[in-house]
Amino acid sequence: MNAPANSAIASVSELQRIPQELTAPAGVKQILVCAGGGCLASSSEKVIAALRGEILKQDLSASINVSAVGCMGLCAEGPVMLMVDAMTFYQRVQPEDCAEIISAYASGGAVIDRLLARAAKDGKAVPCIDDIDFFRKQTKIVLRNCGRIDPESLDDALAAGVYQALGKVLDGMTPEAVVEAVKDSGLRGRGGAGFPTGMKWSLARKNAADQRYMLCNADEGDPGAYMDRSVLEGDPHSLIEGMIIGAYAIGASQGYVYVRAEYPLAVARLQKAIDDANARGLLGRNILGSDFSFALEIRMGSGAFVCGEETALMASIEGRRGEPRPRPPFPAQKGLWGKPTVLNNVETFANVPAIIDKGAAWYASYGTERSKGTKVFALAGTVRNTGLVEVPVGTPLGELIYDIGGGIPNNKPFKAAQLGGPSGGCIPRQHLNVPLDYESLSELGAIMGSGGLIVMDDDACMVDVARFFVEFVQDESCGKCVPCRVGTKRMLEILTRICEGHGRMSDIDRLIELGETIKQTSLCGLGQTAPNPVLSTIRHFREEYVEHIRDHHCRAGVCASLVRAPCQSACPAGVDIPGFVSLVGEKRYDEALRLHRNRNPFASVCARVCFHTCEEKCRRASLDDSVSVRGIKRFMVDQEYEMQMPEVRENADYAKKKIAIIGGGPAGLSCAFFLARLGYKPVVLEKEQRPGGMLVQAIPAYRLPRETLAREIRLVEGMGVDIRTGQALGRDYSIQSLRDEGYEAIFVGIGAPEGIRVNLPGCEAKGVADAMAFLREYNIRGSVPVGKQVVVIGGGNAAIDAARTAIRLGAASVTVLYRRTREEMPAYAEEIEEALQEGVRIEALTSPRKVLVDEGSVVGVKCLRMHLGEFDLSGRRSPEAVEDDSYIVPADQVIMAVGQTLDASVFGGVLELDERGWVKADPVTGKTSLAGVFAGGDSVTGPASVVHAIADGERAAVGIDQLLSGEKHAFWRAEQANSTDYDPDSDPVPYPREKLRMMPVEKRRNNFDEVEQSWNESEAIRQARRCLRCDYGKCIVCDEEAVNV
Amino acid sequence: MSENATCCECSESLSEDEMALRLEEILEEYRDKPGGLIPVLQIAQSQFGYLSESVLKTISTAFNKPYSEVAGVVSFYSFFSTVPRGKYLVRACLGTACYVRGGKEVLSALKKQLKIDVSETAEDRLFSLAVGRCFGACGLAPVIMVNDNVHQRVKPSKIGELLKAYAAGEKGGAQ
Repeated sequence: MNAPANSAIASVSELQRIPQELTAPAGVKQILVCAGGGCLASSSEKVIAALRGEILKQDLSASINVSAVGCMGLCAEGPVMLMVDAMTFYQRVQPEDCAEIISAYASGGAVIDRLLARAAKDGKAVPCIDDIDFFRKQTKIVLRNCGRIDPESLDDALAAGVYQALGKVLDGMTPEAVVEAVKDSGLRGRGGAGFPTGMKWSLARKNAADQRYMLCNADEGDPGAYMDRSVLEGDPHSLIEGMIIGAYAIGASQGYVYVRAEYPLAVARLQKAIDDANARGLLGRNILGSDFSFALEIRMGSGAFVCGEETALMASIEGRRGEPRPRPPFPAQKGLWGKPTVLNNVETFANVPAIIDKGAAWYASYGTERSKGTKVFALAGTVRNTGLVEVPVGTPLGELIYDIGGGIPNNKPFKAAQLGGPSGGCIPRQHLNVPLDYESLSELGAIMGSGGLIVMDDDACMVDVARFFVEFVQDESCGKCVPCRVGTKRMLEILTRICEGHGRMSDIDRLIELGETIKQTSLCGLGQTAPNPVLSTIRHFREEYVEHIRDHHCRAGVCASLVRAPCQSACPAGVDIPGFVSLVGEKRYDEALRLHRNRNPFASVCARVCFHTCEEKCRRASLDDSVSVRGIKRFMVDQEYEMQMPEVRENADYAKKKIAIIGGGPAGLSCAFFLARLGYKPVVLEKEQRPGGMLVQAIPAYRLPRETLAREIRLVEGMGVDIRTGQALGRDYSIQSLRDEGYEAIFVGIGAPEGIRVNLPGCEAKGVADAMAFLREYNIRGSVPVGKQVVVIGGGNAAIDAARTAIRLGAASVTVLYRRTREEMPAYAEEIEEALQEGVRIEALTSPRKVLVDEGSVVGVKCLRMHLGEFDLSGRRSPEAVEDDSYIVPADQVIMAVGQTLDASVFGGVLELDERGWVKADPVTGKTSLAGVFAGGDSVTGPASVVHAIADGERAAVGIDQLLSGEKHAFWRAEQANSTDYDPDSDPVPYPREKLRMMPVEKRRNNFDEVEQSWNESEAIRQARRCLRCDYGKCIVCDEEAVNV
Repeated sequence: MSENATCCECSESLSEDEMALRLEEILEEYRDKPGGLIPVLQIAQSQFGYLSESVLKTISTAFNKPYSEVAGVVSFYSFFSTVPRGKYLVRACLGTACYVRGGKEVLSALKKQLKIDVSETAEDRLFSLAVGRCFGACGLAPVIMVNDNVHQRVKPSKIGELLKAYAAGEKGGAQ
């Protein structure tokens, strides 16, 4: 190094020589360790100390150098580090790893496998940072030096070329030329509003004044956004450089950086950078020997969100209360202390040197027509790779979340992304293709904002999220103007009462009206955008507001007043899960069963075939893994020797009422069961020879033994329900004929038993079957023709059931073709797993195009390979055919399982249908368009789960009771006090979740014996005790009175 | 400028005279700077732990501003406190990322452990509790901040241990 490290740089030419002079001496290997805020919180300083200690110990100071650098972006995997020679990236490094790291690095770069990132698709280790998905797909302009230089070293910054753009500016660019360059680049303010930066500068420049000010807004207050922090902490000199260039352009001699007090590290690093720049003549008087002077100071915020608003920020710098004032005059005319002032945010300034350095045209080559360059997003919430990412403006949201962010942990479905913090809005899954630019986002009711992007899965309640943001702005409202101060308070009150279950239907419109008024009449940006989170959640998630108000139900299980335990809230039938689980834990099996049957008669059935959404919401999952509710239930029902019937209230008057239930599936039988508990004696009319609906027709016996189902149907019969089989609607009777016979109430639960036919060429050939017909024929009649080479088309439970049935009936090969990915198959994951074990082949991303026929019989299926394209309305990537990539799967039988429907002609036209062809029914009571006729189950919802049908039957029973008696008597809806022992101060038991045992695969062929085996008693009790008892001390609907409100 | 103006740095309690002396030094530097009031308040708070009436009166006299104006500024910003705070200011982040990742549960665990509510100080003056709005560590949510230390991925069940470490440091003289 020739230049004395501490003397002022006297001229631009001297500055230009510095990068070459500062290049690191050859032979010294560099290690960069992240010391950004995120990694420091993960104790990266200990890793740095350990590395340096190890270098001393191994006497390698001359050959290895460790630098503490700014944020690399992948905060979730911190502490992270980069071995510069081969660009090897290590993550989650602990001090204990450091000896090995240094030894390996010194001896020639053996890579330590356990510290490497893993590729999302195959779990393979990815050593080089440039190959890691998270980094590979980013474009770094703002964050160009973050994570690559020591932010506390001016020499590091100079070596990386920082201040060269300043040199270029002072070496003959006029201020006008600088303004023009920024204008041409298309750079827009990154603080949120997106005002063109060059325009702002030229406005301030035009106003004659003795003094102008250049301000930087580093009051990064939007919760969820921290890119400014990253620049301040990781590359403070680039911010300073951008500010000096801006000051030169507008003719300012004084500047302030307003940093929020929550960022002490940022303040310290920026202060050091300012001091160093002053010492080297890059700031202060006569910068680089020119006649341009610029002084820069830090001002710290004091914890007021509104100070992110420009006029409030200036009031705060002036030493006053940070209250905004009306504009005009705009700051460019009268700003700080009444002088023309420009305020830009950190990210905006960090772009400027790159624009000057590489040219406006280069910068404008990134982004979209109207929004140029890149934008940094802070990816947070439920996404695998949380951290900072920089992408060209206009990158689709889905790419950011899935390709860079790695998708949602535990493969939960994406629900919404919240952009722009308290001023922004939510984007739901059907808009994952939206390009992230200012205009597209505002069309959807969100904003780019400062770039905070919170990903939410199904565990987020959108009403609660809206309430959270309104609480935030209400708390931060400065109180100067009435709409913001009082209006947000009223909105908060309404949202709070909705979340507590006291909302009214008119509240939704009231919120919209209030929100629009607040937007139009508030003084500053805080108030003008405060209603956005509410308006956007109402726009995209109105049904959740309705559920909170009408059903007192929070589907995410978040709103404490509406949720006793999240598992119970998630159960469509509302079974008291903590109740029966804790009873099993005390070996009180009979009570446990009665408690279960209080809300769901089919305990044994659901122990086998329920999709147990309860487990998805289990809070224990955040500790280790969810409670195995279904496994515990399975053990419980196996202990039933005498059928356990819940309370029945006989009533001679009700017993005389004539009620017909059409369809003996789970919906109809559930409706009959609950009516019988009130003393009614309904008649069930079943078309097939055996009652049970899909449970007996479609679900194979190896999943649900026939006797298990029969026992629970007999339980319903034992309560006085008359089940008549062989009675088909539309053939043996009609809805009208039932009414003529004096039936006062009718429940329609005929399901969706018909398979949908697709028009595949060749599908009329011999050997093509429908999955529903195939399963029904085997399950009801006991035999069905099965081929040797079977192909099943579809990815739902019916497809997997058909495949596993075919295997058992002797098929030599069974191949399931599905057009999306295996992970996206709607069939239950456990069923798919078992099918694979039994030898079923699954060809995912495959689209059948033609059934090949020879002499009238099937000989194969011609398929096309698919690849994943854009995101579709379901939030999944839609499969697109690769036209020239076809192949043939040989087959002598093709079973179609692509969907189910119902034959509406049986209604004789008396029931109104919805646009998808299902029966229209009130979601609360099950009432149809025809008085006295109720409906529920698959015929209303389309194919859904057993437990949904059971829940529908219960609701309709309550509706029918209300019709016939004029009152509601649903006594089972009152919660029952839990009488088991529980110590709320005890620590959770440490037992891990156990899987249920399975019958060995080799024993499954040629028989339909049940595959899943129960636990023994001690296992079951241990598992039951894993429950965290979220219900403890909570009773939401405690007495019968409450039920009937 | 102090790096630690956000939180209380004092453990010993200063006498009125000592306070006045230190305050005079601070005022000397900032009295004539434009907009110097807020930096002075920040430094005073970091030195004394809180802003007492007498401190505010001295400051208002030095800046030649009415006491009401200075008090108005102090009450506007959430970082200023006119009552003594604990040695450790514990702030639970309720920013969006922390909120959706269980920040509420962390806050209620803190309340339960410390037996105080938000913006209160425990009797032994060791801990004060406050709510924070994003510390910029969203990737590691939920987080809490104890003075300037950010603790990441905090679990409600581990709060007791975390606080104990600070309390032990207090007694043993080192953290």
